[in-house]
Amino acid sequence: MTRWFRNPWGKPRWLVVVTALYIVWSILPVGIAILFAFNNGRSRTTWQGFSLRWFTGSTGSVLHDPALQGALKHTLFLGVLCVLVATPLGVALALGLQRWRGRGSGTVNTMMLLPLVTPEIVMGVALLLLFLNVFPGLGLGTKAQAIGQVTFTLSYVVVIVRGRLVSIGREYEEAAADLGAPPHDQLLRVLLPLLAPAIIASAAVVFALSIDDFVVTQYLSSDASTTTVPMLLYATARGAPTPALNAIATVTLLITLATLALAFFVYRRFAGGGQAAVAAALEV
Amino acid sequence: MPGEIHLQELTKRFADVVAVDGIDIDMPAGEFFTLLGPSGCGKTTTLRMIAGFERPTSGQIVLDGVDVAQVPPHRRNVNTVFQSYALFPHLDVAANVAFGLKYQRCTKEERRKRVAEALGLVQLSGFERRKPTQLSGGQQQRVALARALVLRPHVLLLDEPLGALDARLRKNLQVELKALQAELGITFVFVTHDQEEALTMSDRVAVMNGGRVEQAGSPREVYEQPETVFVADFLGVSNLLSGEATAGDDGACVLRMGERALRAAQGATASRGQVKAMIRPERISVEPHGTAGDNRVPGLVERAVFLGNAFELHVRIVGGDILKTMVANDGSATDLEEGAAVTLHLPAEAVRVLAPSEPAAAEEPATAS
Repeated sequence: MTRWFRNPWGKPRWLVVVTALYIVWSILPVGIAILFAFNNGRSRTTWQGFSLRWFTGSTGSVLHDPALQGALKHTLFLGVLCVLVATPLGVALALGLQRWRGRGSGTVNTMMLLPLVTPEIVMGVALLLLFLNVFPGLGLGTKAQAIGQVTFTLSYVVVIVRGRLVSIGREYEEAAADLGAPPHDQLLRVLLPLLAPAIIASAAVVFALSIDDFVVTQYLSSDASTTTVPMLLYATARGAPTPALNAIATVTLLITLATLALAFFVYRRFAGGGQAAVAAALEV
Repeated sequence: MPGEIHLQELTKRFADVVAVDGIDIDMPAGEFFTLLGPSGCGKTTTLRMIAGFERPTSGQIVLDGVDVAQVPPHRRNVNTVFQSYALFPHLDVAANVAFGLKYQRCTKEERRKRVAEALGLVQLSGFERRKPTQLSGGQQQRVALARALVLRPHVLLLDEPLGALDARLRKNLQVELKALQAELGITFVFVTHDQEEALTMSDRVAVMNGGRVEQAGSPREVYEQPETVFVADFLGVSNLLSGEATAGDDGACVLRMGERALRAAQGATASRGQVKAMIRPERISVEPHGTAGDNRVPGLVERAVFLGNAFELHVRIVGGDILKTMVANDGSATDLEEGAAVTLHLPAEAVRVLAPSEPAAAEEPATAS
């Protein structure tokens, strides 16, 4: 044991131990939560055998409980909406910022990163005040939630797409221009296909951020119809919790993981190198 | 014949840096024209202005009689082969080559025919469905060439296209490029920092330094009759001599270097006062020690570098300067080891008096370089 631990020619063993401990510690609660989604009983602490009743059972399951169903649908709806708005907008912004050289471009670049570091609670309160006081006509609810989510997910799109733009460089556009392509063809026939992996990756990141978001979405919600899965989990955790909550959390987690995995593989498949940007983004 | 370019007072400034400083160049139609110079001399910026990627600060780019300086790149009848080829990685070879044909009115059938023709021209028939990443460097370079030539430009611009290839492939492609240019008869504007490449391929060379053209002419002219210290120094190996020019006979001048005097019959022989003169190593002949006659200087062999087919001798002449000279490895040079005393013959007709370079040619080595 001491030789395994103290071998000066081997890897630094205590780092291995710390890492292993950390991994167990971070996965354990999630693992337990997932495990109890399959509990054949109402308890979330005592194991009563394996069952899928909280996923597909006739009462109180993810598939049949109207509240759970509504939350899941609303979450996915917001996610898709956010992707459809934030991705094209972010790509356009990234292209614009990349081309813009001169006074003010540095400031704007830095400001694009602000939403990444702003505490979400600050962003949430600020947006709430905005919708209540500046644009009361819009009102709270789905529209406000979508706008709020787009506001903070946009930065991720810009950061990922700009990283790719920098590594692509200007040469392909110049080659297209040289061969006679007018500016919009340089964009459509060359730049966008080359950006595709980054665009897909950023869309996936936006989707994952959207369905996981709690603070902003909570602040901008109006009534029960605008409840999302994270909000539902928070609200019912102290009320009458059943393993159905674990089940819906498991479903959300799977959707998030599947989306990020898809993004990662698409990016790696098509972009070759330069996964750093998306890897960094995935770690957020 | 179309494809004639005149650059007039062409200038490009980037912030505080003057990359190209009011150059005038005439590129005759159908010639292989090379812009040669060290990195940062403005050759690539000049090429990029002809292509349209950079907008000149001032000056004109007259292509077949029309000033195109303010015309965007996609409306110019010139095409470029990029240093890194810039093949579109998401398109296969055929689609890369066909890319620009969309903007030339031609039928689908004609398009296919021209793509096949262009690929045939660069010997890549059968590679249509490959992706650029599945090709070797030399093959990618050919695709880049085909992609540009398929549009039948009047001028083809080449930005160090051989830079990324290994030496052997480079040599082969030099020959092929030159043959291709002769066959097509279109103007090639070639940018390189490799003086050997410039000399072997070009009909005409413009040697650039510090954003200016130092000298333009045929390869033989710029090599054999360099007008400035920079050109003499950049092209090939040359020995530079400093001395005071005084009057001589027959249009030559006499170069006084301390107690020694050399006749110089080439170049700016009308100059007087402190000047620099140059002689190529291959024009200096090595004679046995003590040989008498004009333009002969004694010296000691300081280094003898074996090159295979020749020796390069570094001879320290009286007064301290080192002259480089070449001796063919023909079996006679057995005693040319270090420390040997020799006499160098610098024929007057090989000693060339140089006009001073622009200040840009900052460091001028005192002697051999």
